[in-house]
Amino acid sequence: MSSKIIFGKWEGTVLLINLICTQIILGFPRVMTEMAGTAAWITIIYVSVIMLVAFWLISKLYSRFEGMDIIDISQIAGGGILRVITGLVMTAYIMYIISIVLREFAEDMKVIILPESPISFVTLFFVAGMIVGAYLGLEAIVRLGAIFIPLITIGFLFITIGVSPYYDMANLFPVLGAGPEKIFGEGFFRISIFSAASILFFIAPYIRTNRNFKIVGYASILISSCLFLWSVLSYIMVFPYTVSIENFLPIYQMARLINYGRFFQRVESVFVFIWAATALLYLSGAFYFIIHIFRKTFKLEYEKPLIAPFAILIFNISLLPPNLATAIQLEEEYFRKYIWIVTIVFPIIVLSIANISQKRKKGERKGEKAVE
Amino acid sequence: MEGYKKIIKKLLFFNEPKKMERFVLKETSSKENRTEDSAENNAEKDKQYRARRRKEPGGIRKIDRGTDESSKKEKEIQKEDENKRKDSEVSVYLSHNLTSMKRLYNIPMNGDVVIREFDIILKDRAVGAFIIFFDGMTDRKVINNNILQPLMMLSSLEIKKAEEDIAEYIKKQILPHNQMKEFTSYRKIMDEVNFGGCAIFVDGIAKAFTGDVKGWEHRGVERPNTELVIRGPQEGFTETIRTNTALIRKRLKDEDLICQNFEIGERSNTPCSMMYIKDIANESLVEEVAKRLKSLKVDYLSDSGELEQFIEDSSFLPAPQIIATERPDRVATALTEGRVAVIMHGSPFVLIMPITAEDMVKSPEDNYVRFPYGNLFRLIRYFGIALSLLLPGLYIAITNYHQEMIPTDLLFSIEAAREMVPFPSVIEILIMEIAFELIREAGIRIPGPIGPTLGIIGALILGQAAVAANIVSPVLIIIVAVTGIGSFAAPNFSLAFSFRILRFAFIIIGAMAGFLGITTGLFIYGMWLVSAKSFGVPFLVPFGPKTANAFTDSILRAPIWKQERRPDYLNPKDDRRQAPISRGWMDNGSKGEDEDEQ
Repeated sequence: MSSKIIFGKWEGTVLLINLICTQIILGFPRVMTEMAGTAAWITIIYVSVIMLVAFWLISKLYSRFEGMDIIDISQIAGGGILRVITGLVMTAYIMYIISIVLREFAEDMKVIILPESPISFVTLFFVAGMIVGAYLGLEAIVRLGAIFIPLITIGFLFITIGVSPYYDMANLFPVLGAGPEKIFGEGFFRISIFSAASILFFIAPYIRTNRNFKIVGYASILISSCLFLWSVLSYIMVFPYTVSIENFLPIYQMARLINYGRFFQRVESVFVFIWAATALLYLSGAFYFIIHIFRKTFKLEYEKPLIAPFAILIFNISLLPPNLATAIQLEEEYFRKYIWIVTIVFPIIVLSIANISQKRKKGERKGEKAVE
Repeated sequence: MEGYKKIIKKLLFFNEPKKMERFVLKETSSKENRTEDSAENNAEKDKQYRARRRKEPGGIRKIDRGTDESSKKEKEIQKEDENKRKDSEVSVYLSHNLTSMKRLYNIPMNGDVVIREFDIILKDRAVGAFIIFFDGMTDRKVINNNILQPLMMLSSLEIKKAEEDIAEYIKKQILPHNQMKEFTSYRKIMDEVNFGGCAIFVDGIAKAFTGDVKGWEHRGVERPNTELVIRGPQEGFTETIRTNTALIRKRLKDEDLICQNFEIGERSNTPCSMMYIKDIANESLVEEVAKRLKSLKVDYLSDSGELEQFIEDSSFLPAPQIIATERPDRVATALTEGRVAVIMHGSPFVLIMPITAEDMVKSPEDNYVRFPYGNLFRLIRYFGIALSLLLPGLYIAITNYHQEMIPTDLLFSIEAAREMVPFPSVIEILIMEIAFELIREAGIRIPGPIGPTLGIIGALILGQAAVAANIVSPVLIIIVAVTGIGSFAAPNFSLAFSFRILRFAFIIIGAMAGFLGITTGLFIYGMWLVSAKSFGVPFLVPFGPKTANAFTDSILRAPIWKQERRPDYLNPKDDRRQAPISRGWMDNGSKGEDEDEQ
């Protein structure tokens, strides 16, 4: 059934932008500022360029495998064993991030609007959305994303531009912030902010051609970089460095500043819509891919029976960290530093092996023909 | 005096009730429906079964099953017999035909079937004949003047052609009625008679003539009741299928406008017509609609509302997937876009399919008024619909979780109004919403003259007494009233209902988790809609998925001359509906699609 689903470049791009950029409304601008100071925006440009180069390499390596996903490619590269390894690695990676993000969203929501509700109750709303998304399938998720994400982006721009009276260019100085070593040395590991782009490997069969693969890849990386850049730039311009590393919900703090006349003074509650919609789309999208990858790895026939067990699993894992600070630490300290190895380096290795084995097979065939 | 005594006696003493046999609706037993022979057979069978029951433990069930099965078989045999009779051919003998028709129409049990026997005089001999029709469904004058009179009186004229072929002679020379058909099968003849025709059987001819003499009482073409417009045509469909098809055809004078006929309902044999424009509508769409219509196995359909439920894609989706309209102009527009319409006899609502979510928010008037006004209508309507769906939920969410959103002065006034109210706001709003729905429902069911009284009572109790008694706050009355008005702004009756149901869900979910709950609700609702389809067309097209050429008439509409192409999602055979420069007088030799503007 899944092979029948086909969607366009626009839907594919929007899905990836959603998966990549969701971190903006979590702690992303603060984390970047903590690392590189006032030069966080330079890090983003630097990392984006590296990511574009990496994607160029990936698309070159991928060109032989039009319409295949990374599971199929690993099957070609190393047979069933590599397929299972790739599938499990990818499943584990998405499960780790989805559990943490679920916890973060729920905790943040609790802080903003539901301070008296237990965390499990708040989490349940997101889990419900996740289950419905996975149940109705990828087609529904991408289509709804295509409608919601542009609206969410407009909302995000409204917030960041709405605080323009607070912009202070002086906050951008010193230009090199925490120093070149931090920006370019430690900053390199921040390529992980694009880790969700690895989902492109799984939507390749749905967008069919290599050309679409490249367009979706480049477009989503470029648009995401712009959004990253703008979020960090506007954040730094609004809050001085010392304040900016304190806000645990940067974009929410920005929304709280919006003040138009006597009537529109506290519009940050509208931000909850943007927040929850982004979270639900992200979680349902990522959750769908967990199930999809797991099914494909073990060549199962149906996806729907997997939804309930995985939802319960993720719900429970998300409640494991004792508090929000631990969850953020688990994301920033471990995930964002090293996950690029799984999402960028690992696929490159798999693709290279698959390329070599393809070439060898061709060579063998040619040799056989020559012998004949 | 005697009378009084009787009354006192009756009141003081016990009166034995009169023995009356009360009617009980018994289950149809196989015995009663059978002929005497079969009853005897059955008695024998029962004896055999009883004998077997004594031998076998648990035999009762077996006996029951046995009689049930045998009764089923009997019924099947009876039905088969009847079908055979219906399928049989018309006989040459008039008496045989007469008996068959009487038996098929259960005459004399059936009171409104008229059989009139008469003679046709052919030169020197009289040929027996009879005519059969339903009284009340046919036009007496037409039968008298155009059928009976010529047959009985003109037939004595000189025969100008070969004398042998009486059938040919009767049809061509002495039946001046304009719609005469010949049939040899009883079934087809009965179909004609059942739908207001008459059938003429003549001795010696192994076929019957049927004439279209429909003449039942019906409502004339009036203003539509549900989709009123200020600017635009004011006529609506009626309950008569041919009037309705004619109303469409008189707007679309196109020979490619096809009207394919179906009969639905084994008992009602309700005539239905599927209309589409052959060189515009997608063939697979037409085939799909025809397939769904043909596949229906029901005994009776009374309205297109039932038909809609039989052919729609999903019964549980909280939105209609077929538009039911009373307006011929709307159907004509839909047909020119490449859609398919289904008209059912007996219903003034014609079904249009496939549709998308935005089609339900459109009113035909949007295109009849000038471009800026049409867009204003639409924006107001969208606003009204959003209010009807979300306003109570948002009110609950804001007052319970997001008080900071309310400007301080407004917050004070809301609080002051709520101070004396003993209920939490969610209970308060549920009470009012239910009361509002109650008034609405009662307002529809109530007999006409009492209607205004109900309105006054409703307004008084809800508006004033409830506030005065501190049961609800005045702010809430405003919220409920605005919501109610918003729900009446939805141009589609069915859509307004779905929003009414969902509104309660949003109130509950808003009370549970504020904006988070409402966003989750919207997300799930959106997911549901986006995965739905109406006859293969995604429900939220052209937004999800995005399609080309659809934005000229979407949430807003472009000027009429800019709506050059038909919606892409309908995959029409010809996607252009206007020339690149539709306003020929603007053409000053420039080329290109967008040159209209210049």
